[in-house]
Amino acid sequence: MQFEVLAKCHTTRARVSRMRLAHGVTMLPTFMPVATQAAIKGLTPQQVEALGINLILNNTYHLNLRPGIQVLKEAGGAHKFQGWNHNLLTDSGGFQLVSLSKFTKITEEGALFASPFDGSPTMLTPEESISIQHAIGADIIMQLDDVVSSLTVGPRVEEAMWRTVRWLDRCIEFHQKSGEDDVQNLFAIVQGGLEADLRDKCLDEMIARKDRVAGYAIGGLSGGEEKDVFWRVIKQCADKLPEDRPRYSMGIGFAEDLLVCVALGVDMADCVFPTRTARFGVALTFKGPLNLRLSKHSADMRPIEEGCPCPTCSSGITRALLNHTATLETAAAHAITQHNLVFQARVMGGARDAIMNGTFPQYLKDFFANYFGDAGYPEWCVNALRSVGVDLLEGKPDTRVVSGDGAKWEYSDAA
Amino acid sequence: MTAAPLFTLCVTSGKFGPRVGSLNLDREDGTPVIRTPTPALLTATSRGVVPHFSRDSVQITGAIQHIQLPFESFLDRNPPVLTLVGGARPLHQFLGYETDKHVLTLTLRDPSDGRKMPPNGNDFMSAHCTRGVRKVNLPTWKTYVQKCKPDLVVALSDTPFTPPPHSQKRMTKSIERSISWLADFLRVLDDPSASCPRNVLVHLAGGAEPHARGEFADRLTEPIEQKDAVGLSPFNTLDDGVAGYVFDLLPLHTTLAAEACRPIEPSSPVDELLKVSDSQRSSPDSSIRLAELLQASLDPLPVHKPRFVNSPVSPHEILRLVREVGIDLVDGFWAQRAADIGVALDFRFPVPAESSITSADCPAPRTRKDGKMDLGHNLFDSMYRHDHSRLASSFSDGHSAGQSHSNDLPVCPCGACSPRSPASRLLHSSVDIQSWQDSQRPLPPSALQPPFVRSYVHHLLHTHEMCSHTLLAMHNLTVLSAFLEGIRKVLGREFPKDELEKEIVRFEQKYDEDMVLWDEAATMWLDVEHARGKGRLARERGKQTASTMGTAA
Ligand SMILES: [Zn+2]
Ligand SMILES: [Zn+2]
Repeated sequence: MQFEVLAKCHTTRARVSRMRLAHGVTMLPTFMPVATQAAIKGLTPQQVEALGINLILNNTYHLNLRPGIQVLKEAGGAHKFQGWNHNLLTDSGGFQLVSLSKFTKITEEGALFASPFDGSPTMLTPEESISIQHAIGADIIMQLDDVVSSLTVGPRVEEAMWRTVRWLDRCIEFHQKSGEDDVQNLFAIVQGGLEADLRDKCLDEMIARKDRVAGYAIGGLSGGEEKDVFWRVIKQCADKLPEDRPRYSMGIGFAEDLLVCVALGVDMADCVFPTRTARFGVALTFKGPLNLRLSKHSADMRPIEEGCPCPTCSSGITRALLNHTATLETAAAHAITQHNLVFQARVMGGARDAIMNGTFPQYLKDFFANYFGDAGYPEWCVNALRSVGVDLLEGKPDTRVVSGDGAKWEYSDAA
Repeated sequence: MTAAPLFTLCVTSGKFGPRVGSLNLDREDGTPVIRTPTPALLTATSRGVVPHFSRDSVQITGAIQHIQLPFESFLDRNPPVLTLVGGARPLHQFLGYETDKHVLTLTLRDPSDGRKMPPNGNDFMSAHCTRGVRKVNLPTWKTYVQKCKPDLVVALSDTPFTPPPHSQKRMTKSIERSISWLADFLRVLDDPSASCPRNVLVHLAGGAEPHARGEFADRLTEPIEQKDAVGLSPFNTLDDGVAGYVFDLLPLHTTLAAEACRPIEPSSPVDELLKVSDSQRSSPDSSIRLAELLQASLDPLPVHKPRFVNSPVSPHEILRLVREVGIDLVDGFWAQRAADIGVALDFRFPVPAESSITSADCPAPRTRKDGKMDLGHNLFDSMYRHDHSRLASSFSDGHSAGQSHSNDLPVCPCGACSPRSPASRLLHSSVDIQSWQDSQRPLPPSALQPPFVRSYVHHLLHTHEMCSHTLLAMHNLTVLSAFLEGIRKVLGREFPKDELEKEIVRFEQKYDEDMVLWDEAATMWLDVEHARGKGRLARERGKQTASTMGTAA
């Protein structure tokens, strides 16, 4: 990997960088769409590329089950299998193992789980995870970590953090011996729950291994913890992680979360949210999400968002047509997915431009004014951005501030 | 300047028999005439869109030119949104079809929907939408059509969608109604500024009774009686106002199956996801019966009008109707439905030479016990798990055809077999150009990419990924279009009738008409739908609810 920081925001911790991997250059910060089963829901890889996207994520747990490593090897790796010519990242499979399999037991050796095929006990070790990720062939691979829910408290959190450090060593060793380490880049995952001292210890340990890891992910978040705690952990990690390594915040997808993370110094994020919500008829816009299933859109001849360059808006698809087809025709899911992925890319592209131009603080202010407007700013965003020198409320004494998550949703069918 | 005739014939064989022609859509608005060689493909739509296709997928699928638009799904809002669009080409504009390429035929009902329906009335037709059954009366339909300005439109007609058999009385009523509805549809409105629908197609009514069909056709060609003539000048007969004829095969198949004592229950297939048409099959016998019925209708009618056939159930049936009757547009529902249930079509007409399609690197479809080959591949089948070859053995893919000239297979130009890198990529910031203009890794636009392979589509089907159906539908429509092109080519030979006969015999000997493959695919498809689909959707609904907790806008 070649990683170069091109520009830094003069106020916040945000930065623009260029990351060169085996399948090309990806400009950061960026949002990575999730192709869980080796396909972005409903789109061909050519369609995804046309959206200006060049880094996507596959899930190791799912691909290991189906089509299986043997098939991927025969096909020449996951890139060839799914016809994707650009950069690819795989997770370690550990997170899905814990969230999707009821009987997973963590031992020092690895994660012991019941095979979804025959229920037989199966072990996913750090070495096995890396080996599977080698067969998949992604440009960025993740260490196996000991995942605990972000709501877990007590000694289990510390145990998981230390085990994650030990597993990192095993992943590094296996990866380096394999000879794949010049084409595939291993990322470490910082754990430690919501406890600052554990995060600090984990950061120290992992930064000490910097020469043997290509980048760092911040794990163990987005599991239902309070947003005000969430951003503080992100900030603590991003502040401490080395300048010359990309930082990846796992499972982040709401636009406001993305921008706060970018301001705190995060370079990459992924989430199924924009593609999943599209299938339920929800389109993301700079004025907040639109639930296109609501009857108020049934005769609305406007595109989802005026000026949006996505194939859906630029071809003149109206809210009315999407209202007619949403959740009933897969074509509607495809159209809204295309739009939502472009929305995510525009949010991040706008951030890149603003950081390059030295106008990122203003970009944040404009985004929040548009997106939350009268609905009120989430308090945690205001707090988080204040911590990096941007006061969203500056000169806006009348703006409402909402505590809690503050997600703005147009979800009711009655509207 | 007079408009180009809607239809011209180049090869004919009299009243009945194979023919080649050209459908010419002249909108008389200064735009170029859209010409389509026939027999041609008519793409089916659902809720106004080609199932599984986003607009860019429609654009790259050359097979999609003629499009059939059932109006009924839009009845769930009043007024229907299609009538609110305005402009010169409201349907193209709203539904995103290209005016210089796509020819749109509007019909009230979806001809592939064989569900039992409440009876029509003397002055209304029953239609389906998500909110249930709606009655559409004649003036309303006329107003809708005037507002939608379709390129071609099908007049309302009274086809019973109650279980057969249908009484003599019912058939007589059906004919009376259909005739009077057509007359009413053709009649100039009181408001002279309102444009009359052009290119009116009519269903040839009469059900599965040859004499009833003949009677309906006779009524079309009888001089219009004085008392009915108001608003119908300059027509001498109703047929003068008719641009072409439509045959809906689905209700005919249902009736023929009932006669043969293997009734297809129209109201409730064994599974709610199945359609009535899924169990309809053709045979040489059923094709002969259909041909007789179609001939009975066409006998008194002029030969120079295009004949549209909806819902044929196999290529064998299409071939026989081409041979026995002469048909010009054929809907693609059968091939599109195959894409729903995981079937990738793999056949050609004329049947290719044995040597060209037996290849180790791309297995041909399975051969059944009787020695006949399947019309495609059921990609749900686990035998495709490790099959990394392109979808069809009888077509090459663009990428490998460009690299070697060793095989003489035609290329399937579909988006699954011959995908291309995008012509351009969106840039979201000034630095993005560094990703796409990378001297170390040039990324030519619109360059042919390797084909999507069977193992990948197999994986997508089993993981319930929607793009499996997109890839299959692009491919299947393209294969069906190539099949129709093959018919045109054979009919371009020196002795077209004999040549066609010879090639049809070869086709019948080569390819399986029982379509056991379809039954196998539907079973596996239903398993995945029920196990994965519903479970997954339920899980996701739960998650969505959780993630939408918050402040409502
Ligand atoms: Zn858009
Ligand atoms: Zn194809």
